Amino acid sequence: MPEANLQARAVSKRYGTQRVLDQLDLSLSPGQTVCLLGPNGAGKTTLLRVLAGLLRPTAGEIRLDGAPLDFTHSAARRQFGLVMHQTYLYEQLSGPENLRFYANLYQVDLSEGSLQALLRRVGLNPTRPTPVRAYSRGMKQRLTIARALLPSPRILLLDEPYTGLDMQGCQLLNELLQQERAQGRIILATTHELSYVLQVATHFAVLARGRIAELFPNDELSLDALQSRYQQLAQPVKAEARP
Amino acid sequence: MKNSLKTIRVLVWKDLVQEWRSKDMLTAMFSFAVLSLFIFNYAMELDPASRADLAAGIIWVVIVFAGTLGLNRSFTAEQDQGAFDALMMAVPDLSLIYFAKFITNFLVMVFLTLLVIPIYSLLYNQALFAPALGLVLLLGAWGYSAAGTLIASMTVQTRMRDLLLPILLFPLLMPVNMAVVKAASAVLAGVALADVSGWLNLLVVYNVIMTTISIMVFAYVIQE
Repeated sequence: MPEANLQARAVSKRYGTQRVLDQLDLSLSPGQTVCLLGPNGAGKTTLLRVLAGLLRPTAGEIRLDGAPLDFTHSAARRQFGLVMHQTYLYEQLSGPENLRFYANLYQVDLSEGSLQALLRRVGLNPTRPTPVRAYSRGMKQRLTIARALLPSPRILLLDEPYTGLDMQGCQLLNELLQQERAQGRIILATTHELSYVLQVATHFAVLARGRIAELFPNDELSLDALQSRYQQLAQPVKAEARP
Repeated sequence: MKNSLKTIRVLVWKDLVQEWRSKDMLTAMFSFAVLSLFIFNYAMELDPASRADLAAGIIWVVIVFAGTLGLNRSFTAEQDQGAFDALMMAVPDLSLIYFAKFITNFLVMVFLTLLVIPIYSLLYNQALFAPALGLVLLLGAWGYSAAGTLIASMTVQTRMRDLLLPILLFPLLMPVNMAVVKAASAVLAGVALADVSGWLNLLVVYNVIMTTISIMVFAYVIQE
């Protein structure tokens, strides 16, 4: 897999008069798992959507391997695997049908064996043709993760990926993230499940006042140390958010 | 080209399977169409001559109103679970999403028309099985689906989508409504198809222009 280097350069995003991202700079390298921290409303989801090309930044640009990403081309959009708040799944289709559908769109050759292996990888039973509407939230989240991994993206953007997962599911996700990182993918995840992400993140980035307040490595931080550092950096945003 | 056709086929398959399993859209459209035909039948006690004059108008009004219920729901699967984003990441060309939705909506309109015509014939005791009428209604369904798919893709992103869709769509459909009703009335009155070629040409030109514009602007409409 060629090495990817994802950069956000002076990215700003406004919704009307509200400035969510303000001249934000962020650089991510292959093999990094960066956990993006920030209070509710800090702009974490907006940043992920801008990076994936789903939102146009008001100013600034996204670069991959040194060149600006042109999201009007499908090749640029297909570099990203996304797990967001919504599942992106079709409720009337079964899990395997959803994956086959997306595989066809991505023009990925998904054999029956590969499909079953992918479902087992996320802890789902590949022989159950149950429609997704009958899945629990955790099962939907596992299938969502499988869908994101389907096209073997170079960059994984995960918005609260532990949502709905039980303890076993969280551990499984951590194993998956470690495997994907070992393959040189860039992983950027937002979460408030600090105890789980602490096990897999190589770096932490704190988003405050529309910018990355600090990007620091996970030097075997303790949970208490991480929480304390995060609260220190995020405090000004909370104070500003109060009426 | 081959990949584009495959993508469209996959997207249409997904829409049809979703609808076949839930039957949300078809049930609502079919119920509305049957009830409307009943109401028209009882509200207007028409003599045979008046029935023949009004048949085209009643049928097209019922198809358009029932079709709006379907259009309102045609993007809800994508909107409810955010799958629009996933489609945008996956498809090679965003206009293929429009093509697929247009084809699905067109097929649903044809299916609705095939249900409405025999029910109307039964209720009003009027034979309507004419190939020329079929051609007019097919052209009408094309124009309706072309404009309706584009407007539905805009309104689905708004809070008042159920209200906005007909408000924006119906003025845009004026040429289609006029041409379909005029041409269908003439055909049912026994006028030769060649003599209504003006209305048919209007329909074809409208359909080609609307489909082309929709393909050109669809990507801008669904992004952000």
